[in-house]
Amino acid sequence: MNSIHDMGGMHGLGPLDQADNEIVFHAPWEGRVMAMARAMMAGKHFNLDEYRYAMERIDPARYLQLSYYEKWLEGTLTMLMEKGVITQEEFDAHLDKLSDAGS
Amino acid sequence: MPVVDLDLVKSLYKTPGAIRLRLDVAPRFKVGGAIVTRNINPLGHTRLPRYIRDKKGVVEHDHGVFHLPDARVIGAGDQAQHMYTVRFDAREVWGDEAPANDSLRITLWDDYMKPA
Repeated sequence: MNSIHDMGGMHGLGPLDQADNEIVFHAPWEGRVMAMARAMMAGKHFNLDEYRYAMERIDPARYLQLSYYEKWLEGTLTMLMEKGVITQEEFDAHLDKLSDAGS
Repeated sequence: MPVVDLDLVKSLYKTPGAIRLRLDVAPRFKVGGAIVTRNINPLGHTRLPRYIRDKKGVVEHDHGVFHLPDARVIGAGDQAQHMYTVRFDAREVWGDEAPANDSLRITLWDDYMKPA
């Protein structure tokens, strides 16, 4: 699809940030998101191409605001719901439980 | 659904080229051959980005047989095709103001190209 992920040739996005020896994960949750995605693909819940397409379908304005692994997380949730592994209701209920535990 | 155990993880990380398919599929293009990319605008997934559509290039390397990403996403079944590294002059892609000696290489499947 011709969406915001297809950025090749776009101007106005500022200079490339080419940090030397950039750390792989900026926070522990990023590594967990990557590990979960790899595990779910190994478990045949979805394939890599479906996963990329899930991220391509993120709303364009929102896409630009998300960090790299935030897109992975959003793509993972989309896949889990579309493939029927979890429901939106289960996800919302779990979020409520987490926020109750944190308050 | 398969359980993700240690053996599966090991095979994922330690098998080089694990996603290459061991299928006998004839390549549609030869290394060194001139191609032109198709101008497609699918609503689904594709690995043919906009900037490289309807551009002339040269096949540089044949990587073997892989799933066509576009087909796997829309549930059209698996389509096994050859995947290549294809070289394009920068001026073909970005116009006459691009440096004359620059080029770019991109991975393309059989379906993305036609003979030039």
